[in-house]
Amino acid sequence: MSEPSDDPLIARVAGELRRPVPISPDFDARVMALVRRAPPGRAVRAWEWLREPRTLAVSPLGGLAMAAGVAGLVLAGMWSRQPSPVSRQPSAVSASAGAQAPVTFVFLAPDARSVALAGDFDGWDPARLPMQREGSGLWTVDVPLAPGRYQYAFVVDGRRFIADPSAPRATGDDFGTPTSVVTVGGAARAAGGSL
Amino acid sequence: MRVRIVILAIAAVGLAAPAAARAQTERLGGRLDERTRAAVTALVDSARAAGLPGNPLVNKALEGASKGADDARITAAVRALAGDLARARRALGAASTEAELVAGAAALRAGVAPAFLERLRADYPGAPVVVPLAVMADLVSRGVPADTAGRAVLALARAGVRDAALVAFRQSVERDIALGAPAGAAAAVRVNAAERDLGLGAASPTSGPAARPPRKP
Amino acid sequence: MRQDDSDAELVQRVLGGDDGAFAGLVARHRDRGIRFAMAMLGDAADAEEALQDAFVRAYRGLRGCREPGRFGVWFLRILVNRCRTRGARRRTGAMFVHDEAALERAAAPRGDDPEWREEIERALTRLDALQREAFLLKHLEGLDYEEMARLTGARIPALKMRVKRACDHLRVLLREVDDVRAE
Repeated sequence: MSEPSDDPLIARVAGELRRPVPISPDFDARVMALVRRAPPGRAVRAWEWLREPRTLAVSPLGGLAMAAGVAGLVLAGMWSRQPSPVSRQPSAVSASAGAQAPVTFVFLAPDARSVALAGDFDGWDPARLPMQREGSGLWTVDVPLAPGRYQYAFVVDGRRFIADPSAPRATGDDFGTPTSVVTVGGAARAAGGSL
Repeated sequence: MRVRIVILAIAAVGLAAPAAARAQTERLGGRLDERTRAAVTALVDSARAAGLPGNPLVNKALEGASKGADDARITAAVRALAGDLARARRALGAASTEAELVAGAAALRAGVAPAFLERLRADYPGAPVVVPLAVMADLVSRGVPADTAGRAVLALARAGVRDAALVAFRQSVERDIALGAPAGAAAAVRVNAAERDLGLGAASPTSGPAARPPRKP
Repeated sequence: MRQDDSDAELVQRVLGGDDGAFAGLVARHRDRGIRFAMAMLGDAADAEEALQDAFVRAYRGLRGCREPGRFGVWFLRILVNRCRTRGARRRTGAMFVHDEAALERAAAPRGDDPEWREEIERALTRLDALQREAFLLKHLEGLDYEEMARLTGARIPALKMRVKRACDHLRVLLREVDDVRAE
């Protein structure tokens, strides 16, 4: 540093700030799951035009999947040219009110043979949204969702319904196996009727 | 004999139901046995006649079907949800969207008083209230008392905190609870902090804490 | 990842198509990154999001890293920008978790001083964002003013003024706390 460190108070502040800060244990795995969705060197300009979408996809995973949802927004446009062999493509993605935004669901299950997503958005049919396994035992899937509140659970090995440990629980009758909730914000298009 | 009666009942319901309702309940086809399907379809029809959305009821039935629940439990769950949706509609108004009614039903089911829903709607006519309602319900599911959750979200919404920031608030409270704070205290502390921060927004750093007048809680 | 791979080697491998090598860069730079993001943003969820965004952008824009051996500084620039974007949105509740939890229970254990940390973070949130950023780049990241100018695009005199003001404000905000605690 070019200046003498003059103030012991500032030095103490700096010392305190240099202490280690906790971070989620699966942070690395989440980053790599996103990284594997697109090759490097592309999409720098795509990030520049990306503005905050008016439909906010708020995943149960802290806000982490919001970033993933934003990433999904960019990639959806690119998938039309180069479909990814790994994940399903969101059917319709746009940032305007009432439209759908992709939400990434993530579940850590290294010992599972298969994991699917079942919820209000797919008629609770585990066959409709199988999840893809990333290397570290993390299973993911992107689902386009219109604004609203959806109950869901992960179906492990075709049989067991498991709630998302990082998401709020649904209240009400869950038929004996707890379910989780995801809320997508934004303006709902429907005028005075059902979506 | 019994089967015949059931089929006649289904046919009668099918003839009476408008096309849209039929489209909704068609999703039940193949997933439920005939009797359950008939019962659920009847519930969906009467709900729609009362101005309620059918999709959430069908979803609830499909959830039960996927989980292997029995007849009685599925119809009970659908009936209960229909009741919650009706209460939500009374509190939020007839012009509410399906998403708002679903979120409102969840909040009511969690124990949030209808008055909070009414006030939320009154404060923001025309603006979607899905996320505030969802945050209320989610806070209660984490152990925050229902009244505290309702008051907290209402206070934040009135202070201009919207959607993504409301969810961030909920996540902060959850984090505090996970680290050992009592749920009600965690929510109350975070609301106070939020209000204080919003009040401080215009203050310049040079004035320092001593220069700022104390804020009323 | 081999232990002795340098950042430059990892970058080259990623550009050559080895996605897995990026995991090595993440592992190397995430702890420093979360420390900065947390001090800058004051909230763990925000900090993790900003850091995650920064890594994903770094991956996608990796061809723009002209000095792979200095990946760390290049990455810090991306992280600074992510924090700026995120900080521009309204935040609620800048209070910190362990302080609230501690109030409800017994006093904090010795050797660890969550109250002091809490006061520092509270003081930081009261700084103007650019002052806070300059302060952290100087005193947390240990950059010199030339590096800071390259990273932020601001001129050195302006950066020096920001750091000075930040230090002045922190002294005012924290000295009271310090005096009370000394009693």
